[in-house]
Amino acid sequence: MSDNTKCILLVEDSPDDEALALRAFRRHHISNEVVVAHDGVEALDYLFGTGMYTERDIREKPSVVLLDLKLPRLDGIEVLRRIRADERTKLLPVVVLTTSSEEQDMLDSYSLGCNSYIRKPVDFIQFSEAIRQLGMYWLLMNESPPI
Amino acid sequence: MNPEIFSKLRTFCRDEAAFEQLQQVLIENLLPLEHEIEQAQAQVEQQKALFRVITCLREPLELETIFQATATQVRQLLSADRVGMFRFYPDSGWNDGEFVSEDVDAAFPSAIARKIHDHCFGEQFSQRYQQGHMQVVADIYNAGLSDCHIEVLSQFQVKANLAVPLLQGQKLWGLLCIHQCKAPRQWQPIEIEFVSQIANHLGVALHHAELMADLRAEVAERKQAEQSIQALNQGLQQAIVNLQVVNQELESFSYSVSHDLRAPLRSIDGFSQALLEDCHEQLDIAGQDYLQRIRSATQRMGTLIDDLLNLSLITRSEMKRETINLSSLAVKITAELQQSQPERKVKWSIQPDLVAQGDTRLLQILLVNLFSNAWKFTSKHAQAHIEFGSLATETDAAVYFVRDDGAGLDMTFADKLFGPFQRLHKIHDFPGNGIGLATVQRIAHRHGGRVWAEGAVEQGATFYFTLKSEAVRL
Repeated sequence: MSDNTKCILLVEDSPDDEALALRAFRRHHISNEVVVAHDGVEALDYLFGTGMYTERDIREKPSVVLLDLKLPRLDGIEVLRRIRADERTKLLPVVVLTTSSEEQDMLDSYSLGCNSYIRKPVDFIQFSEAIRQLGMYWLLMNESPPI
Repeated sequence: MNPEIFSKLRTFCRDEAAFEQLQQVLIENLLPLEHEIEQAQAQVEQQKALFRVITCLREPLELETIFQATATQVRQLLSADRVGMFRFYPDSGWNDGEFVSEDVDAAFPSAIARKIHDHCFGEQFSQRYQQGHMQVVADIYNAGLSDCHIEVLSQFQVKANLAVPLLQGQKLWGLLCIHQCKAPRQWQPIEIEFVSQIANHLGVALHHAELMADLRAEVAERKQAEQSIQALNQGLQQAIVNLQVVNQELESFSYSVSHDLRAPLRSIDGFSQALLEDCHEQLDIAGQDYLQRIRSATQRMGTLIDDLLNLSLITRSEMKRETINLSSLAVKITAELQQSQPERKVKWSIQPDLVAQGDTRLLQILLVNLFSNAWKFTSKHAQAHIEFGSLATETDAAVYFVRDDGAGLDMTFADKLFGPFQRLHKIHDFPGNGIGLATVQRIAHRHGGRVWAEGAVEQGATFYFTLKSEAVRL
């Protein structure tokens, strides 16, 4: 169902949440490659071709970044700040996907220019539905900026 | 009379007899004049001394200094051997006392600080002094004094005694005592008058001293009060700081509750669902039912966590007070409720133009909770009536109410109504998580008001709330 030429970058430290997210992608036939970064540093390494991704061609950008906020090493808000601060990634679609419903987190995320803010629901069926809509919008309907 | 003057006068007289006559006339007329002059001079001296004593009294001096200066002045002027101020111990019933100040001829013993038990003088003695009488004794051994009185005086070698009361207001404070020790002494009326004037002025000083002592006590008391206010303020500031710390802790606590407690629930729910989907074949009906139960329990817990967080948010969130039309807010909320179940027959009575000061968002939450409750607890009745209005009160704080004629309340448990997760009905009868009224109470409290309920089983319920403290109107 999707444009599967581009990957999805899932920034998630919880193995359970990672497995559930991957399962939801599968259920909705989202076949794009899903790259998982387990903390903020890894996510930035992937995007900017540093650390373990030195060899990567960073011109190939993910179609969307799914970003958890509570992360080891570098937290999600900081990752978002660095993505938006860099010319190469400032227009990259970033969807904050988090457990937190704190007003402050939401305000910070939007003011730093996240494209969506989705709170992970406890109910897996709702979560799966959110992933489906997300895939539908960001992979299928949305026109990416010409970068 | 001056002999020179007499010898000059002799030359003016024709013979010795005439001179004799002249002398006689002069002596008869001049001597009283000279005596009067002497008396006048003494009076002038006394006036001067009095003036010095009064001047002394006017200055802001300690009583001790005034006494000392006065004793010296008086002793000099009267050529007395001892002048002393005797003070009765307060509460001794004028039986005991001591000399607190004194000026004494070096030849005689000091009476200062010698405790004197005056019991032998008798009660009448002090009463007489209290009335302003003085004791004038020219010779203590020939004045009919009691033996023990003589004993008291003789230990200071007193021969003649002049004692004048020192009154502090109406109260006998002590005695101003003039002693002659060398020999008995006939006290002159002019001297007695002088001493009594001095005593009057000392009375004024005593009164001033008393006022001053009162004033000092008051100042000390105020200082004490100020200090305790300061201590209280410091305590308060400390409490505020502590409160801020607690608030911050609460803040980070709710954050971790929000995040950390929900995350495992998502795993439980997610993998239960995965089991249901992926291992459907291996699970019998019971197994599938168990998994469903796990899922609904996790979701319920997720809702509870959210409710708790929302409740804490109501306490933590910032509050803006503005003017709000509660009536129009109520109309909007009730219209939405009616729309959610258009088939229900509910009569709404909303008193128009109820205006309050408060936080719009919080008051909306408050009203939504109260109306939803009323809506819910009338759901088993074919027809219902829900009212919103305000009561006339004795205070400035308006009392608002939401009344329904639904399932009502058992007032036995009324005190439990507003606690979080408290439910008075079975969940199957009326669903809910028991957080609504706790939320209502917190919102009322944040506005400085309160909330309470009235009702009876199957006779409806009324919830009252105020949005500010109910100080009685003056």
